[in-house]
Amino acid sequence: MQNRANYIQVECEINGKAVDLLVSPDRTVVDVLRNELGLTGTKQGCDDGNCGACTILVDGKAAKSCSMLIGQARNKKITTIEGVSNGDVLHPMQQAFIDHFAIQCGFCTPGMIMTAIAILNENPNATEEDIREGLHGNLCRCTGYVKVVEAIEDARDKINAGGVN
Amino acid sequence: MSDCEKTNYIGKSVQRVDVYEKATGKAKYFEDYQVQYRDLLHVKVLRSPHAHAKIVSIDASAAEALPGVATVVKGSDPDIAWADIPYASSYYGNPAKDEVIWAGQAVVAVAAESIEIAEQALELVKVVYEELPYVVDQREAFKADAVSVTSPELGIAAGYGGVQPEGPNVMGSYKLTHGDVEKAFAEADVIVEEEYQAGKKSTSQIECNGSIVEYHEGGGVTIITNGCGVHGVVKNHILTMYPQLSSNKVRVIQPVTGGSFGNRLFPLVEPLAVLMALRTKRTVSYVLTRKEMYTSSPSNWPVYTKLKLGAKKDGTIIAEKLELVEDAGAQIRGYFDGRLSSSGLMCVYNIPNVQCDSYAVRTNTMPCAPYRGLGCAESEWAMENLIDVLAEKLDMDPLEIRLKNILKKGETNPYGEKVTSIGLGRCLEAVADAINIDEPCQQDGGPWKYGKGIAAAGKQNTPLGRAEADCLVHSDGSIELLVSCDEQGMGVQTTLRQMAATEFQIDIEKVKVTRADTAITPYDNFGASSRTTYTTGNAVIIACQDAIDQLKEAAGRKVGLAKKQVTIKNGKAYFVGSNIESIDIADLYEPFSFFTQQTWGLLKGTPVRGRGVFCPAPAVEWFGPGHEDGRTPRMWNWYQYSAFGAEVAVNEETGQIKILKLMSTADTGNPINPKLVEGQIDGGVIMALGFSIMDHHMFQDGKMMNPNMSDYRLPTTLETPLQKNFMRAILPDPLPDGPFNAKGMAESIMIPVGPAIAAAIYQAIGVRPTEMPMTAERVLKLIKDKEASDAK
Repeated sequence: MQNRANYIQVECEINGKAVDLLVSPDRTVVDVLRNELGLTGTKQGCDDGNCGACTILVDGKAAKSCSMLIGQARNKKITTIEGVSNGDVLHPMQQAFIDHFAIQCGFCTPGMIMTAIAILNENPNATEEDIREGLHGNLCRCTGYVKVVEAIEDARDKINAGGVN
Repeated sequence: MSDCEKTNYIGKSVQRVDVYEKATGKAKYFEDYQVQYRDLLHVKVLRSPHAHAKIVSIDASAAEALPGVATVVKGSDPDIAWADIPYASSYYGNPAKDEVIWAGQAVVAVAAESIEIAEQALELVKVVYEELPYVVDQREAFKADAVSVTSPELGIAAGYGGVQPEGPNVMGSYKLTHGDVEKAFAEADVIVEEEYQAGKKSTSQIECNGSIVEYHEGGGVTIITNGCGVHGVVKNHILTMYPQLSSNKVRVIQPVTGGSFGNRLFPLVEPLAVLMALRTKRTVSYVLTRKEMYTSSPSNWPVYTKLKLGAKKDGTIIAEKLELVEDAGAQIRGYFDGRLSSSGLMCVYNIPNVQCDSYAVRTNTMPCAPYRGLGCAESEWAMENLIDVLAEKLDMDPLEIRLKNILKKGETNPYGEKVTSIGLGRCLEAVADAINIDEPCQQDGGPWKYGKGIAAAGKQNTPLGRAEADCLVHSDGSIELLVSCDEQGMGVQTTLRQMAATEFQIDIEKVKVTRADTAITPYDNFGASSRTTYTTGNAVIIACQDAIDQLKEAAGRKVGLAKKQVTIKNGKAYFVGSNIESIDIADLYEPFSFFTQQTWGLLKGTPVRGRGVFCPAPAVEWFGPGHEDGRTPRMWNWYQYSAFGAEVAVNEETGQIKILKLMSTADTGNPINPKLVEGQIDGGVIMALGFSIMDHHMFQDGKMMNPNMSDYRLPTTLETPLQKNFMRAILPDPLPDGPFNAKGMAESIMIPVGPAIAAAIYQAIGVRPTEMPMTAERVLKLIKDKEASDAK
């Protein structure tokens, strides 16, 4: 049905695995992650980069995958929420979100966790103000931000104290 | 710790049941099921660009002919059941038939092999409209000579509540007379009066509304949806709209679901998706875009309130007169009559003389639906502001006047109901104390001016029908609750689990909650008005007690004792009056073989099933014989209460507001899970900060100008105070008829936020906002107006 003649090939790494895609160039990264690769942990709440639910890591930095065309993923290392934990062992950020009751409906959670990891990637000693600045592109309507910021500060301290990552 | 204490989970912050799957991205929301269907059809909808217009003609032939298009739906198609659901044109998302009554209403819908093909098809549709006069301002729409929202031939519904329409757009009214208000005003020493407006807003949940409808050969459907109320909303409406579907062929499943705060209490996407699935015999997915979430799914109902209060010199409020108008948006029929919003003006203060005239009016804007608080944040905005005006005139402080006038336990409110639980006094004292209301803010001489304010709030629980629960005791002793209540993040699966574990005095790990699926879980109406903890909670307790009773009987038979001599706890039956001390629950079930399955009594593999049905006392009708004055001893179920205090900075050059410090208190009844309650408080306060100072619909030429998250500004981490300045407290007054004396909560916390900020603004810069949200533009205009008037 669709004209495949103008499809593009995109090689990238997703959650540590090499991926070779042949897709239409007008597709967004969130669409390909969800609908081609079945990585439905990344959520979509808007289509203009304002809600932050689709946040992923691209080479360790936070990026909104609804506003990235698939061609922009070429040769990048992409991490989604599915690639954060080590088997059954949760990433300290995931554990902190659980411990601090920072999750309610959970729809914004994957994006929040990815942004939070990127904040600490950039600055392992991020202060509360740094965390708030870094998180302001992620909207939450259920939990507010108090317990989320609390969780990120706890994860920061645990990572810094224990050398875990 | 005794065994009994160990298994009392009430008041303990037990971890949520669903967090691991949510933290790892494994939780499956409805849209995540799309990938399972390789032959999915996608729905896209063409929407009206006009606030009001006749549909002269629709030519969809080119769209129908486009390869990849499976079906095209127009309002004139014969398989839409107009006669049964006359308001379907506006409310339930099916395309309009003859006339569009708001910009954003569905006109033509397409189901196609891909979203792109569906969008392409819509571009080929030609619609000819004849524009008609429209009205979007609720005060204009309320006038007797207003422009009519609909053409008369569409059928104007008679006023709900037994009162005839007083203008073309009045949908209903509710009036209450308590005491003699005119006489009381004549006796008052001080009278204050003002008009207030609270704006139009969207709940703006991050997960857009949508559903997947799977078609089954033989004409059945399975609906996987994030809609509320699998039984009470979705299934009931689908069966009414599509009589060709029998009840046993409609299954509704609510998977892991995002918050919606009242927005999905009507079926918004399911009717169209079901229609398309029935036509095409295919699985259909229909997900609203973010723009559609603003223009085509419901908003709150904005409220205009004209309020007058009279008080004695000592601060006792003796008279209240209110005229209130709810803007119900573009609805032909509905249940709106002002009763829900006006309830906020009659549940907080003990005022012996009240005249309430409340109305609902339709406008050519997107139809309204509940928004967390059911209109009380909008109406109490008026009361709390005017009480501050009154306090100033009486030279009283804001805490003193409130404490003097709030309802006390055992008193009767203006409806005639006896107050059984109210913890508001402590809530007010705590917020005043936390922000040091008596100590004026230090000013630094710059453009930022500082002020403090407090406000109170109450919110009724509307009796909204029955909840049922099944409690299965499996033959290994594990417990399973089957409940259909909505779980949209509030944590009810966790709190119900705590209740069941406490009833059985068993380790909570042995209790599992199975979520809403009409093929498995029994009836529940829907999650609204903070009813789930109370209504479903009570049903769960009854179901547990029924199951326990059956276990006692079975255990008693085993050792030859009456069931009253049996106690069930720790997964065992304990006996009084027998030389056998106890038996494991699992041992009550007989093992089976091929030849012993017919054994009477409990059998391995067949759980004991306890049934619980709870229906809150039915509301007495508030009109008709015996209730001409609108009063009744049972209008609502119970009330939740809150107070809020804020310290704010106002920039006198820009009108910008910053919230520096806040304290929120909540009377939740006995909290089942304090950490979950705290999360509700945090989220509610931040949502309320948004609609108090930032987010609202803006209209131009009858259309919403800001239907996206760039222009519809929601609060982020940058608009909320620092952690140390964000304070909250749970100050419960136990509810006698609540499960473990709990009430529902999460609505009252929103209500006092706006008025407390308004009071702080007044203290900072001497202007009193009357319109919410208090955006920078509006505050700046108040400042400029004051400067101009001071200069005179």
